[in-house]
This record gives sequence, structure tokens and C-alpha cells, in this order.
Amino acid sequence: MQSVNPKPGTQVSVATTPLQVRGRSFTAVVLRMAGPPDAGFFEALDTLMRQAPHFFVNAPLVLDVEHAADLGEKAEFVKLVHQLRARKLFAVGIQGATPEQGNAAFGAGLITLQGGREASLERGAARAAPAELKAVTSVEPAATLLITEPVRSGQRIFADRGDLIVMAPVSSGAELIAHGNIHIYGPLRGRALAGVNGDRTARIFCQNLEAELIAIAGLYRTSDDLGPALRQTRIQAFLKDDTLCVEPLK
Amino acid sequence: MAKIIVVTSGKGGVGKTTSTAAIGAGLAMRGKKTVVIDFDVGLRNLDMIMGCERRVVFDFINVIQGDAKIKQALITDRRLENLSILPTSQTRDKDALTKEGVEKVLNELREQFDYIICDSPAGIERGAHLAMYYADEAVVVTNPEVSSVRDSDRVLGLLSAKTNRAEKGEGEVKSHLLLTRYDPARVARGEMMKVDDILEILSIPLLGIIPESTAVLKASNVGTPVTFDTKSNAGKAYEDAVSRLIGEQLEMKIQPERQGLFQRLLRRTA
Repeated sequence: MQSVNPKPGTQVSVATTPLQVRGRSFTAVVLRMAGPPDAGFFEALDTLMRQAPHFFVNAPLVLDVEHAADLGEKAEFVKLVHQLRARKLFAVGIQGATPEQGNAAFGAGLITLQGGREASLERGAARAAPAELKAVTSVEPAATLLITEPVRSGQRIFADRGDLIVMAPVSSGAELIAHGNIHIYGPLRGRALAGVNGDRTARIFCQNLEAELIAIAGLYRTSDDLGPALRQTRIQAFLKDDTLCVEPLK
Repeated sequence: MAKIIVVTSGKGGVGKTTSTAAIGAGLAMRGKKTVVIDFDVGLRNLDMIMGCERRVVFDFINVIQGDAKIKQALITDRRLENLSILPTSQTRDKDALTKEGVEKVLNELREQFDYIICDSPAGIERGAHLAMYYADEAVVVTNPEVSSVRDSDRVLGLLSAKTNRAEKGEGEVKSHLLLTRYDPARVARGEMMKVDDILEILSIPLLGIIPESTAVLKASNVGTPVTFDTKSNAGKAYEDAVSRLIGEQLEMKIQPERQGLFQRLLRRTA
């Protein structure tokens, strides 16, 4: 800090200040340990590093030991730090630790961190590690979208993170789209497209089929192909060997 | 504070303007101070149906643009002093309507009237959007045929999403179904959709069933709201619809066509 109005006679020189203190935030990679650092842990870590070789480069590493309560001795921490360093991974601290774990880790040169918030992974890292990122998105809990009002002609409902449940009629000219399954507890007269991001296990369940079109993972059938036998019945639709099957629900 | 009711349909030619005039007149006959507004800029019709086209000097657009005061543009009906008409411009187009302008006019009218009936143009573009935007309730006019029903469904979707009430989270616009040009004989022959089928698709309460009637065309040609023709079945049906609109409970019935003596004799001998 420099004083703003130096009094006459006092010498203020920036050049001679031996140090400056600044706060700055960096993004650290948190490695959540599901258990003690055994052979299985290192095997999984090695696999991850092979898939995303550049992901950990120069990144400060924080070990989350909340679920590794067995890890308590200083020697264990020292060993772990060495084994990580052999993989060019540099652990700087731990989080989610008990006071005992904190003390032991301190002996191994690790500081105890608290708080921190989730940061989105950088684009560069995302490009380097597509497999890694995919794993992260699938961990995110799927959100089900519940609609209780009629879906009118021209309206489009998009469940972009999971299933879609509609407890009202879906008019012709309306569109239901979901990444997951679609359930309709009312007549379906519009379109329903499930598994739109390619989920071939997605299904469509409906109380009263009068749909213009149903589709799963891009495979579709129109009301013409569906035939009159299933009209106005309870059905489920699913994929089987690249065929969109529509079966009555018993 | 007035209640704002939009008469809308999506599809053209189903009877929005006729219904606006009939409902407006019906409300005024019951002593409610009512104003009907024509939102169909460029296709001015409401003033003709109301029989006051020769008295139009200033219009809705003049008021929006500040060229005239509301008082100058409002026309009081010669038959009912409770009934006023705010005609629209025939020379301008829908772009002359602005959200702020419409709001300003409606707020001013709210102070003077019990009911404001907005006659929406067909379609779902600017004119129709602004006609429904500030509505508290909606009368969705539908004919018993598939394309009209589908368009009404589309309009109901817009009412639940693209209105001031929906956007501000002040609850939904209460929507009523008004079935017009209903012909029981053609429904029986399977040429028109049944009431129950329409209600199942649209799932909103039924305000009334207006039978197909020669009285409607006759009334528009002479510029009288059909509600004044109390002897006609269509006039009676509109009267019932108005009763339901102000909250009365009435049994739903399809008014039979009134037959002349000659027709009755023919039927008897047939």
C-alpha cells in the first residue's frame, strides 16, 4: 500500500518495498477420494490421466478426504503426496478433513482448505478431455419437468435435463421434447420426442394415443404408420434393434 | 374498475365481431356500462355491425397517437346509452398499435366503464396479441370444425403465456368457449364436430352455443347487434351467454330455430 498524500519530508518509494500482498484466486482441481489410496484408486487415476493427459498439467490439486476417513497417519499422507508427484500431480492441500487428518496432512506439507465453490471447467480443458467432461455431466442429477396445464397447439415443452411428465391433454400441433422419458397422463394428440440427445433407452408412456408423431432418439413414426389398432389406447414406445416399437400397456 | 374481456379466435370469419357486438349490447341491456373496442386496424368492421359507421370522426389510433381525446373518439350507441364504441382506423395498419398506447387508453377507459370488450383481429400477430395482452378474461369464439378448434387451441396457449397477467404472474386469463354457427342437424349427420368433442380438446368452460341462424346475417346487414332481436334463437343464445359471463348459472341448451307458421304446417303434413 502506498500512502496517497505523502507528508512533506517522508520518503515513500515503491521500488524499495520488499514485498506486496495481493489477493488472487486460482482454480484448483479437487480430487474426491471415495476411499483410501489403494491400488484401485491409483488405477482409476491413471486411467483418467490417460484419457485427459493435459487436464492436470500445472494444476494445483486439492484432495477431498471426506469419504476417506481411514486416511489419518502423517506417513500415509507423505506416501500419497510422493505417489502423486511421481505422476506429475502436485497436491497443495486437503478439504473435508477432520482435525486429526488436518494435523497429519500438515506434517506432509498439505494445508487444510475450507469452502470453495464449484468452477466450470475451462474450455481448453474441456476440449482436451471430452471423456472426462462427459462423466461430469452424467453425474449431474437429472431434473424431471412436471407440466399440469394443458399443452396447447403451437406450444413446445422442452425437458432439457431429464424426464417430462404431462398431467393434462397435449393438443395436436403441440410438441413435447425430452432428453429422457416422456409420460403423458392425458390424451396425446401432438408430438412427443424422447431421448433427443441420443438416449436409446428413453421411452414414451401415454394414456391415450392420438399422436401426430412419436420419436425416440431420432427414430420416429407418424400417426399414419401407427395404424388404427393402437389409437386411443394406453401404450408405451421404446427402441428395440433400431425399430421403434409401440406396445399396448396392460 | 372495469373488467377487460377479449373476444378472440385465431381463425377468421368465425364470428368475433358479431359476438363482440352481441355481448357488448347484452351487457349494456343489463345496465352495465360497456365499451366495445375494435382492434382490427385497417379492416374496420365493428362500427358497421353496431350501425354507427356514419358517426366515426376520430378513432382508436388517433387516441393512441395523441391526436384526439378518448371523449372525442367514443361513440355512444343511439339505442343504449350504456353502450359505447371505440372504432378503429381503416387507413392505418396494425403497426400503429403500441403496447404503451393500448395500455394508456385501457387505463383511461377502466375508470369510466364496467366492461371493456376488445374485438380481436384474426391471426396471432401484433393486432391480436395487443387485443389480448391486457385482458382479464377471454371469450374464445369457435366454429364446430377442426381448423377452428385447432386455432382456438393455439390462441388459448398464447393467452396462458403471452399476456400481461401471465408475464407478471397475476394468474391466468379466465377463458370461456363460445361456440358459434352451430347447426344441430349437421352435427347429427356427422358433418360438424360435437360439443363434447370440442370441449374435450379445448378443456375450458362453455359460455354458450350460438346456433347457425339467418337472424345473424340480417342483424349485421342492418347494423344491429343480434341481441336486440330478442325473438331470434341466436339473440336468445347470446343473452344466455351474457348471463353466464356475469356469473349467473344457466342450463346449457341449444336454442331451436324459430319456425314460421308455414314451415310448421309443412312439417306437420310431411
